[in-house]
Parts: sequence; C-alpha cells; structure tokens
Amino acid sequence: MSIQNVILKLEEFWAERGCYIASGYDTEVGAGTMTPDTFFRVLGVSPWKVGYWQPSRRPDDGRYGQNPNRVQKHNQFQVILKPIPEDSQLLYLDSLIYLGVDIRSHDIRFDEDNWASPSLGAWGVGWQVMCDGLEITQFTYFQQAGGIELNPCSLEITYGIERLAMFLDNKSNLFELDWGNGVSYSQLKLEEERQFSIYNFEVASIDFLRETFQLYQREAENLVASNLIFPAFDYVLKCSHTFNILDARKAISVAERTTLMGIMRTLAGQIAHKYVELAHGEKNG
Amino acid sequence: MVKKMADFLFQLEVEEVPAFSVRPILQQVEARFREKLEESLLEFGKIETAATNRRFMVFISNLKETAAIKETTILGPAKNIALDSRGLPQVALQKFIETNKFRLADVVEIETPKGIYMGVIRIKGGEEAEEIFQLIIPEILSGLNLPKTMVWNESRVPFIRPIRNILVMFKNKLIDLEYAGVRSSQKVNGHLLLSFEYFLAGTYVEYMQGLLKNFVMLGEEERKQKILGEFKDIEEEFEVNVPVPDEMLEYYLYSNEYPVVFSGSFQNKYLSLPPEIITSFMKSEKKLLPVYNKDGKLKNMFAGVANIPDETKNVSRGFEKVIQATFEDAQFFWDMDLRDDFYSLRIHLKNVLFHKELGNYYEKSERLATLVEALANETNRQVLKDKLIKAAQNCKNDLITRMVREFPMMQGVMGGLYLMEKGEDQTIWKAIYGQYLPKGFSDELVDDPGAGLLSICDRIDNITGFLSKGIRQSGSKDPYGLRRDGNAVVKIIINFGFDFDLTRLIEKAAGLFLKDVTAQAQLVKQVQELFHIRIENCLRENLKIRYDAVSAVLQKDTLNIQELVLRARAVDQIAADASVSSLISLHKRLRNIIKKQEFLPFSEDLLQQQEEKVLFDVFKESKGGIEESIMQRDFLKAISSIMEMKPIIDLFFEKVLIMADDVQLKNNRIALLQRINEVLLKIADFSVIQESNTGDKDERNSQ
Repeated sequence: MSIQNVILKLEEFWAERGCYIASGYDTEVGAGTMTPDTFFRVLGVSPWKVGYWQPSRRPDDGRYGQNPNRVQKHNQFQVILKPIPEDSQLLYLDSLIYLGVDIRSHDIRFDEDNWASPSLGAWGVGWQVMCDGLEITQFTYFQQAGGIELNPCSLEITYGIERLAMFLDNKSNLFELDWGNGVSYSQLKLEEERQFSIYNFEVASIDFLRETFQLYQREAENLVASNLIFPAFDYVLKCSHTFNILDARKAISVAERTTLMGIMRTLAGQIAHKYVELAHGEKNG
Repeated sequence: MVKKMADFLFQLEVEEVPAFSVRPILQQVEARFREKLEESLLEFGKIETAATNRRFMVFISNLKETAAIKETTILGPAKNIALDSRGLPQVALQKFIETNKFRLADVVEIETPKGIYMGVIRIKGGEEAEEIFQLIIPEILSGLNLPKTMVWNESRVPFIRPIRNILVMFKNKLIDLEYAGVRSSQKVNGHLLLSFEYFLAGTYVEYMQGLLKNFVMLGEEERKQKILGEFKDIEEEFEVNVPVPDEMLEYYLYSNEYPVVFSGSFQNKYLSLPPEIITSFMKSEKKLLPVYNKDGKLKNMFAGVANIPDETKNVSRGFEKVIQATFEDAQFFWDMDLRDDFYSLRIHLKNVLFHKELGNYYEKSERLATLVEALANETNRQVLKDKLIKAAQNCKNDLITRMVREFPMMQGVMGGLYLMEKGEDQTIWKAIYGQYLPKGFSDELVDDPGAGLLSICDRIDNITGFLSKGIRQSGSKDPYGLRRDGNAVVKIIINFGFDFDLTRLIEKAAGLFLKDVTAQAQLVKQVQELFHIRIENCLRENLKIRYDAVSAVLQKDTLNIQELVLRARAVDQIAADASVSSLISLHKRLRNIIKKQEFLPFSEDLLQQQEEKVLFDVFKESKGGIEESIMQRDFLKAISSIMEMKPIIDLFFEKVLIMADDVQLKNNRIALLQRINEVLLKIADFSVIQESNTGDKDERNSQ
C-alpha cells in the first residue's frame, strides 16, 4: 500500500468514527502531539475527536538516507479521542483491519512505553504497538499537558505512516516505498534526507541557533504577556525545533538541557493555563 | 492449573500490564485476599492465583457461606469507680468511652473474677460471604502498591492500566460490585488477537473452558514449559544454543497469553559488529534472544516469543526485516562514534552530572585517578599504575558517545570496545570495559586485574560519596545500589585475590569528599560498617561458609577481605573435621582463664615448673613458623602447627596451677597463655565454633 493510501484510509476510518479531519500543522514539530489540535484541545472539559496527518521532524534521527527505517522527517497520523472510549484497543485494532492487516497472523503487541514530553509538561501512560517487532503506533492515555491534570483524559493514537506502509507493502526499506501513483519515496525524500542530515549533524551554525532560540523565547514570552497564546505557542514550537537541531549537533550540555527544557516547559505551562482560563471565560460569557 | 471446583472465582481484566509488574502485583493480590479474609473471619481453604499481562485471577476453595462470629470484651473501669451511687457515669467511664469511641448505650456490666466492671462486648463477624467480598475487593484493589498509575474514566480511580472487566463469582453466582467505574459481570474476553468475542462465564468450569477455547493459557508453569520446550526444539533443529536469561523468560511469560516460539536469521555482515552490541540490541530493542553455534560463537540467527502461532511465517519474516534496520542503527552509532578521538571526549564530562551533590563526571574521573593510583600501590601493582590512571581519567568518556546516549546500559562496555577497536593497550581498554562488572555476585568478571582495581575505586567512590552526603541505604531501599557496590568489591577482591586492607583506600576517598578530619573519621567508620555487614553477608550467603566459622573469623576487626575469606575457608574446612573439638576446647579453656584480663607483662625468668618452661620453649619455637604460615596465607598449616602444641598445652593445664597464690607467678602464667591466645586469634576465635555432634550452646554463648 502506498503512503498516500495509508493516509487516505486512516482519514476515512476515523472520519467515519466521528473525527474531524484536520490538516497537519504548518510549523516544524517533533510530533503530532505538539500541534494546537492536540496540545490545546486535550485541555479543558469539551469533548474532542480529531485525526490528522502530521509531518514530524526529529533532526537526531537523520541517517543521511542510509538507514532502512529512520529519517529526520517522518509522517505521523495523529488521532485524539476525548473522552477515552471504553473499547479503545479494539477500535484501534479495527483501524488496522481496515488498513488490511491480518491481525491473526502477526504478532501485534502492546508493549509498555510511557510517553512524556518534558518540554511541553505533558505525559501519559500507554504502549508502543509493535507489529512483528516493528513499532507502528504510539498508544497513550494522556494524563497531563502543560502541567495541567487532564479531566477528562484523552486517548492519543499516533500511527507511524512510513512504518505502516512498509509493513503493508512488505518492504524492508522505506526508500523503496511508493508514495502514490508511481512517485517513489526515494525520489521525493532521499536527497532531502541526505542534505538535512549533513545540516543537522555537521553544518548547522551553533551560534546562530543559540541566538535564535533566545529570540524565539523572548517573542513567546512577550506574546504570553499579551494573552496571544496561539502565536506564543508557535514560538515555543520554534524554540523546540531549534533545540532539537542544537541537540543533534551535540551542542547542548546536560546542565543547559535542563535550563532550556525548563524555559520551554514554563512557557508551555503558562500558555496552557491561559488557554483554560480563556476557554472558561468564553463559556461564562 | 486448578482442576477442581473453586468456591470463589475472581478475574480482573486489565489492558496490557507491563510484563515485569505482573508477578509483583499478583503476589500482592494474593497476600491482600488472605489478609482481608482473615480479618473478616470468613473461613477458607486454599487460595490459588494466576495471571497473564491481561488478567489477574484468584480462586478460593472451601469457603464458608458466612463469617465466623467472634466476641471480644473490652473492659473499662470497675463499676464502683465508673458510676456514682445514683448510677451516673464518672470521669473514668467517660474517658473510657471517649478514647475507644464507644457509645454510652453500649456499655454493660461485666462480671470478672475481680468483681464487676463496666465494659463493651463487641460482636464481630457473621456477615454473608457476598457482603464481605463486596466490601473487601475494592479495598484490596485500592490498596495495591502499583509502580505507575493512570486514570481513564470519570471515576478517576487510578490503576496501572485501564480495568476492563471484573468477574466475581461465589458458588457460581455473580457478586455485584463496582470498582473504578466498572460493574462486575460474567463477561470474559479471551486472547486480544485470536478471539474476537467475549464469552460469559456462568460457572468455574465454563470460565476455564472458555479461556482454553479462546487461546488463553492461564498457568505460568504451562506457558513456561511451552516456551522452554519450543526453544529446545530450535536448539535441536539448528544444532545451536539459545540461552534464556531469567529476565527475558519473565518478559516472555508475562507478555503473552498464547506464547509461541519463532526464529529467523539476519545477514552475516552484521556479525562484524562487537557481539556485546549485537546481543544487547537484540534483547533490549526487540526482545529477541541471540543464538550461538555449538562452539560458542554468535550465529546469524535470533529467536523470540510471539503471542500467536506463526504458521504463515509472517512473524519471523517481519522480525527479520526489523532486526536488519536495528543493526543498521547500531552500525551507524558505532561508525559515528569511532570517528571521534575517544580521549578528546573527556572534557565534555564537565557537562554531565554524576549526582547533584557529588558534582559532574569529570570530577568523578579525577577522583578515580587519585584512588586507582593509591590502590595500585596498596596491592603492589605499581607496574599498572600509569595505565590505570589513564583508564580512570577516561573511563566515563563513553557517556558522550551516541551509542551510550541511546543505550545507557552499554556504559563502560562501549568505552572499552571503542578503545579496543582503536588498538589501545589492553590493560587500559579492559579496565574501562569491566568497570561496572560484576553487576550481581554471580556475574563473570573481565579477566584482567586492572578492571578489578578500577571497579573497586568506582564503587568506593560511590559508597563514600553518597554516605558523605548522608544518602544511605536503609531497609529494603538502596536507591543508589550501595549494597550492590559493596558486594561487588568483595567479589572482585576474592576473584583476583587482592591481599590488602581496604581501610586506607576508604580514608583516601573520604579525604576527597570531606575536609574536616573528624568528619572524615566518622565517614570512614560508616563505610567500614557497611563493609563489615557486606562481608559477613557474602561469606554466609555467597560463599556458603558456616555460621560459626564466619563469627569465628570476624572477631578480628579487619578489612583485608582476601585474608578474611581465606581464614574463613580454612576454619570452615576444619570445623567439619572431628579433630576440631580439641582445638575448640583448647581455645575455650584459654579464654576462660584469660577472661577479660588486661594484657600482662611476661618474663621468662619467672617460669618455674618444667611444664611451663617446656610450653614456653615449644611456643617460642613454633610461633615464628605459625606467623610465617599466616603471612603465606596458609591458614590450614598454621592451624595444624597450633594443634601440634596441643599436648604440651594440655600437660601445662594438668600440671601447673595457674591460679597460684603468688600473684607474680599467677600473672606470668596468664601472660604466657595470653600470648598463645594472641597467635590463635590471628586465625580465628575457635571457641565460638560449634561441634556438629554435641553443639553445647550454653557454653558457647557464655564466651
């Protein structure tokens, strides 16, 4: 199955189950969790059901296009269900069946993996779903975001699109995948992966990135002060991506890591609290 | 599994519980059921339990329908103090009611042999079993000590993973209760993948048959036999060895309801990676076992356990693809790390925190260099000194490598492997490679004394450092593994036969953490105490040395562990021998006479009787030889030299009146015995040895 078919099928499946199908976010993010459709919407009491395809950047995962299943920019399909449905595992298995997985002839297991994003002050309990040893999904019961206890909690299902396509298409190398209608993954991504790996690991200017981190941080702080939390959140995301490149460049010491994470966590916490306050205010008004 | 009928059946269905948490939770469930049933006075026969990662089950047989009735009388004050003449309660009675939270109406007169008292008669028990279970099951579940909990529904009741069903049957009848927003029902789900629909369990038999039909192997033993048997099949089919480490077996047992072993192969080219990397990537990343040829070399194969039968070979083919990608990752880390100059990584350790109160790893590496230099001197390994200092300074560098950042459990090993690959001297790379070994007492060590010395220093640095900040182990808690470090030091010393006293190294370490001399001395004492306990423990538990032999050698305060172990082994050996009794009686006699006398001066000129002169001559003559044997650590020989003196000593006891009227003579004779005793104690206090056939405890304890 091609990449685009995996995306289309997942959109179809989750649309039929009452999800609103969003577009992926347009700022660099490390995961679907970091977009407003998840970060903000899991806060507060309103029910929420969303599904979206989100390209995600992890500079440290780059392999110059040489690794059969690791890239610095991969694609996720993110689903948020709030509140958590009672039959969540079965619902997920249904989605695999819908994609064409014969779940009775593959070792599909829910393997302990508690997810946490220290920079977003978020954590959850759950599993990575392994299919014959391949991690295809992160399955998490969200407990906290922006430092706020969630009530009700949300279920987050994050499919790794490349992994799923490799599995469904019986490929051992993601660069052999078909994106759709004959356009190959390597045609689209190989050179990009090579270049970004060189940039992330060898070339990225450390001084420039340190400086931009501070600029983004200041902008975010000013925006939080002005109650412009959506733009403020964008700048936290930019901080996070900048941090990730610095990290891939091995430019961040342990002490510095703690400091920078702390900065992002504080900002994310402030933004989350303001969001809840504002949403609450709206309701009253 | 349980074949007979059970009166009570409980099944808690949970979404996948982390494998290593299942057993500890099951043990708690069983213990708390027992405890709660006993408290509620409901008599029961046998409690049996079973669990998989998706269900916890309890079966109880021979349950009574109602709880027993127990009357307890709580006596208050005597009637004449409790009530005044008009029968009104007085202070004493009011206090009694208040402190016990009774109601006045419940107070009655109670006749006792001492007269009439006021008090309360409590009647406990008598409840129906059903009521009891409705009460205790929520208590049991909420009282479990769980590693990490979550909430998932409106009840906001925390559990390790969402609870999906609760089945509670008493004599084939459903008990109605609710916990964490889940109402009990007869619904039972089978295997997550192989059985789609739930079934209803109306009886115990239906429950057991239902599980069987729905691909759930309930019993741990049953799953274990299947797994181990199928690994054996692979060993036979491919003529290979597939060792199954305990922690992997535990994972397989508690992450599958229908375990099926599979195997597969990978490209030969990955075998050029160091075997340590291949095996730890397989185990930790993919939960697969490495496969060895009969000659002990790694084969390009893996084996694992799936949760479904693999007739289509989909599972093994899938893993073959996945393992290749995993090895590609390993290869990437290995190649990238080798590009760096290993020694230039050290400076970055300044940015890596060891512990917030104990500074960074750069500082630790400096301390280790100081310690290892001192230890090389102490153990007469001066030739290794320069190399070990270099190893100590750089032994934490691998914390900076990609491989270790990704896989922290490869610490130490990776540093060693990188240096080996670069052709570094083997004393240096092996010392770094083996610095964290042994992890447990039965672990293998690296076959190089340098690794042992560096490892001792690292652990002394840990123990002394943490204790200097008041961070210590207590009871079952040992968050920084200080006990394990202590055990490892003992193991390393015995393994390499390092014959030295640890005290000076501890003093050196204490000086690195504390400036104040008094505080240093106190710290040294604390570390010594920790080691005394560790040594005693290792002698008994790990070296299986008799209790009394351990006590006999620990009478002497020393931290020369090697010497202690050799003495203990010698004493352990002779203690089993029949001839030991004369040695025991000799030492007892000596000690009885000397008692707590201060050490007296001895003069040869004061010897009068033939027997005491002979004893002194013989003692003078043998003493050198005995001490020589002790120096040579040939304690058996030293003991036999002492035994040779035995007839002369016996003759002395027989013919010479020690408690002579002449104080000078008496003291001189005691002084002679004190000198003999002194030599004996260099080996052991034989008076505490217990003869296996007589076992005269009273006399032993009087020592």
